[in-house]
Amino acid sequence: MLASIASATLFGVDGRPVSVEVHVSAGLPGFTLVGLPDTACRESRDRVRAALQSAGLQLPQRRVTVNLAPSGVRKNGAGLDLAVAIGILVAHGHLPADAVAGLGLLGELGLDGSVRRVPGMVPLVDALPTPAVVVPFDCAAEAALVGRHQVRGVTTLAELVAALRGEGPWAEPPPPAGPEAAPAEPDLADVRGQAVARLALEVAAAGGHHLLLVGPPGAGKTMLARRLPGLLGDLSPADALEVTRVHSAAGLALPPSGLVRRPPWRAPHHGASAASLVGGGTSFMRPGEVSLATRGVLFMDELAEFARNVLDALRQPLEDGVVQVCRARASVVYPARFLLVGAMNPCPCGEGGPPGSCRCSDAARSRYAARLSGPLLDRFDLRIDVARPDPASLLAGPLGEPTAPVAARVSAARSLAAARGVRSNAELPPWSLDEVARLSAGATAMLERALRSGGLSARGLARVRRVARTLADLGEREGPLGEEDVCLALQLRAGPQRLGVAA
Amino acid sequence: MSGVERSGARRSPGDGDGRDEDGELPAPAFVAALAGLSGMGPARLSALLGAWGPEEAWGSVLAGRAHLDPGVAAAARGVDAALARRWRAEATQVDVIGRWREHARAGVAVTARGAGGFPPPLLDDHEAPAVLFHQGSLDALRRPRVAVVGTRRCTAAGRATARELGRDLAAAGVCVVSGLAAGIDGEAHLGALAAGSAAPAAVVATGLDVVYPRSNVELWRRVASAGCVLSEYPLGTGPERWRFPARNRIIAALADVVVVVESHARGGSLHTVDAALERDRPVMVVPGPVRSPASAGTNDLLAAGSPPVRDVDDVLVVLGLDVAAATRGRAAPPVPSDPLAAAVVEAVGWQPTTIDELVARLGQPLGRVAVELERLEHEGWLVRSGSWFERAVAPG
Repeated sequence: MLASIASATLFGVDGRPVSVEVHVSAGLPGFTLVGLPDTACRESRDRVRAALQSAGLQLPQRRVTVNLAPSGVRKNGAGLDLAVAIGILVAHGHLPADAVAGLGLLGELGLDGSVRRVPGMVPLVDALPTPAVVVPFDCAAEAALVGRHQVRGVTTLAELVAALRGEGPWAEPPPPAGPEAAPAEPDLADVRGQAVARLALEVAAAGGHHLLLVGPPGAGKTMLARRLPGLLGDLSPADALEVTRVHSAAGLALPPSGLVRRPPWRAPHHGASAASLVGGGTSFMRPGEVSLATRGVLFMDELAEFARNVLDALRQPLEDGVVQVCRARASVVYPARFLLVGAMNPCPCGEGGPPGSCRCSDAARSRYAARLSGPLLDRFDLRIDVARPDPASLLAGPLGEPTAPVAARVSAARSLAAARGVRSNAELPPWSLDEVARLSAGATAMLERALRSGGLSARGLARVRRVARTLADLGEREGPLGEEDVCLALQLRAGPQRLGVAA
Repeated sequence: MSGVERSGARRSPGDGDGRDEDGELPAPAFVAALAGLSGMGPARLSALLGAWGPEEAWGSVLAGRAHLDPGVAAAARGVDAALARRWRAEATQVDVIGRWREHARAGVAVTARGAGGFPPPLLDDHEAPAVLFHQGSLDALRRPRVAVVGTRRCTAAGRATARELGRDLAAAGVCVVSGLAAGIDGEAHLGALAAGSAAPAAVVATGLDVVYPRSNVELWRRVASAGCVLSEYPLGTGPERWRFPARNRIIAALADVVVVVESHARGGSLHTVDAALERDRPVMVVPGPVRSPASAGTNDLLAAGSPPVRDVDDVLVVLGLDVAAATRGRAAPPVPSDPLAAAVVEAVGWQPTTIDELVARLGQPLGRVAVELERLEHEGWLVRSGSWFERAVAPG
């Protein structure tokens, strides 16, 4: 007897359809699984056998061959368990073949017959061509995000068999999650003083400009960066689905509704490897931190402590918004359009901000600055010094402007950028600058002075103009860029001169 | 010592092959060769030259007999058989005439202790250098001498003070002695040169052909041509860490008064201070803001009782010079005429200040403050380093 069940396996952040073919024949009793399964997948044999027994389904001792087609594609994970178990039942004649026609099955089996969740439900369901899918009950909301399938959630194998035989009801789908309480994101009002840093956060959020914070320990770099996602608006439905697919594929916990609506925040430790940052692996291509942060914020604290090759691996995603990971067996493309926020000390002793306060030797300082390659440093449109705030202003200073009004300005500025045909001003092509970022006479004179004095490089010029455009958008100023916007843009880029670069 | 005197040891290697009329190499050629051996510090060199004349000393080193003299073996940093063997191995490789000609080509004169022209303040010093290599004339040191020293990591205010002191001291006829380092040292030299009066002197910790830091190469040349640059190390000696404190003792010994402009709590200029106190030289200190790390060391010295320097007159009084030469009382620094600009300059004050602090002090929007700062920096009222602004002492 032969049975064929539709299922899917995960490859990068995409699902690939898999057809689970089960053949039962007379002969020496045995169970063979073929079709490039990985270890977790091969062990499905033992889980399925135990789960079938736990569900009270005794099968005669026959020769069982399971083929995972297409057999040239590597299968990974335990998500095929459910399809294998049902395939065996159909092949033995315990279930009618037409009960599973048009049905895709996804889920891992426990030895007690329970059906467990697997990572990547969204891309897996998306890959299934069938009109209906059966998924673990607590993944039902996630699976329903794709929206093309009738989603059935099951908790045990026995329940599924009963439903397929028509002996029992399908479980009620879980009620759609109500409007979620917005997850508490830290508020900008906690930041007292720090006018320049606040402005830099606002500009980074509005214009999609990458931000580098340089300051001594305790200056509040992490605190500032943590408040950046709150300034970004909710993800558009398409972006939300993209982010959810990536998070789902990486097995991250998803919000109750299954859909990631808020821009993600990722903060990898500086010990991170290049593969963990950009993605990859040997057989299972896991998305890296840059992809998990897509449409959100990637915060890299202690930027100078990251390995040099890890930092330089960021250059492709920063440029292209995607990252292509190539291995001997496979090559995948992940989305990676994130806002990069770096934080670092000005020098090894950490105190090298104000003139006359550093204890490091010149050699130590230049070695430290050289840990960031010029091309990477150049990607940061905003580079500011964060000074340790005055203790008096911490205790007595007025509260800062809260997140909500700033976020409103950011979203207004983003819609101005959208009207120019880009997602954010940071993506403005160089040839369009003369049109959308025209300069007033005063601003031209100021930029000329900066160029002549060596405080601004030719390459930095375009970036300063984009930042100035964002500043003008935030202030709702139209027409040519004025002195103030250009001056502030210079100020926001030229900060840490100790890194040995012109703006 | 007698050998040095006998051969009239102060001499510049002139043209020709460096030999004098009777075809013999002058004594300083041997002193230069001895000074270039590894492990040869002032103590050992003095001991060697005390035991033999330069030529005989070179002979004993070549023969590996340097440790046999009881005076040399028992010197502060004695010489044992192993070191003597090492010296012998090195000395056989040294081309004494060639090295002497190198000094001639570089315009470096060699003056051994005991020879005529050796600076008197160094003669009876307990750690006196055995030899001085110098470019320019040691006559610069005949005037009253004030060492102006301080940190390399200084503030704009410190730089301005050092330059002003250098200028005013030179104008009052004082030889400004310093170390040609980055920061305060270099500024003091610049000021002294700007006065165009008494010539400055510099004591460096490298061979005179190894300019360190490189950025000071032009200043180095100017000091050498106006006054003199001296070192106790022969040509080719690189900047090694231990040579800097050793150099500082010469600065302290040369100076009649040591003035520290800015120093961190643990800084190299405090070595100069210790060396000066050991030699009973008065140490004076420029007070700094209590919050400035660059003034932590100097303020500690003040608390320990060093007299403060408010302007050049405080130093001139200690030197016993006529204070009328300089002007008592400083004119209030100029302020821009535009009211907002004046308020910004006032708000920056005399400490490194960030825009954040200025926004809070002035109550003005960030954009306006930024534009004003840019203009003031361009016009020279303010000095910018990174995100910090400092007030320029002499605008323009």
